[in-house]
Amino acid sequence: MAEIRREGDQTLFQLEPKERQVLLEIVDRIEPMLGSSRWVSPRAYGDEGLEREFRRLAGDDLERSRDADLATLREGLAGPLPVRLGDSDVWGWVRALNFLRLALAEQLGISEDGWEERYSPRQHRRPPLATLHLLSWLQEELIDSLA
Amino acid sequence: MTAVQPVVTHGTGHSTTEERDRPWQVVVWNDPVTLMSYVVVVFRRLFGYDLETATQLMLKVHVEGRAVVATEPRERAEVSVAQLHAHGLQATLARD
Repeated sequence: MAEIRREGDQTLFQLEPKERQVLLEIVDRIEPMLGSSRWVSPRAYGDEGLEREFRRLAGDDLERSRDADLATLREGLAGPLPVRLGDSDVWGWVRALNFLRLALAEQLGISEDGWEERYSPRQHRRPPLATLHLLSWLQEELIDSLA
Repeated sequence: MTAVQPVVTHGTGHSTTEERDRPWQVVVWNDPVTLMSYVVVVFRRLFGYDLETATQLMLKVHVEGRAVVATEPRERAEVSVAQLHAHGLQATLARD
C-alpha cells in the first residue's frame, strides 16, 4: 500500500508498480482537460483590455510553469521506486495535483462547497470521485511532508 | 526538475508614476476543491505569512468567499496574482 514519509531532506513515496501505473494513467486521462478549465486558467482582471495585456505578459510563463510541474510529476512517477523527492519536486507535484484536481472537479460539475453531500457513499468509492479522493490524499500527504 | 515560475516584468498598460504607485489589492477567491492545507502553505510560501496569519486568511476565503491577501503597487500585485495562478489558486486584482 502506498505510503509517504520524510527521510532527511527528502520525501519518499513508496508505492507498488501497479499503483504507479494507475497514477500515470490518471495523469494521462485528466491532463487534456486542463486546457479548457476555467479554474486552471483564471482571469486576473474583470476588464477585458487589462486581462488581455496580463495574458500577453504572463500567459506563456504560466503555461510553461504548469507544464513543468506536470513533467516533474510524470518523471517522478516513472523513475525508480521508491520515489525520492526534494522539496522543489514536492512543490511541483502538489501544484500539478492541484491543477489535475481542479480540472477533474470542473469536469464533474462540482461548483460549490458541500458538493460531497450530493453523492452517495458508493459513488465516493468509485471513479471518477474515487480518483478525485486519491489525488486529494496524495496532495495532502505531500503537503504534510513539507511541514 | 524545477518548475518555472512565471515572471511579469512590466505592469500592464501605460500609466503615470502616480497611478503605478497606487496600491492594488490581491484578492483570492474560494473554490470548492482546493485543499485548505494547500492554501495555507501557498500563502506562507508566496507572502511569508506566519502559520496563524495564513490560516486566518485561508478561513476568510473559505467562509466569506474571498480575501485580500496583499495590497501592493500594481506591478508587484500582478506578479503576486501570476504566482497564485501558477499554484492553481483563483486570484484577481482590484483597485484599493
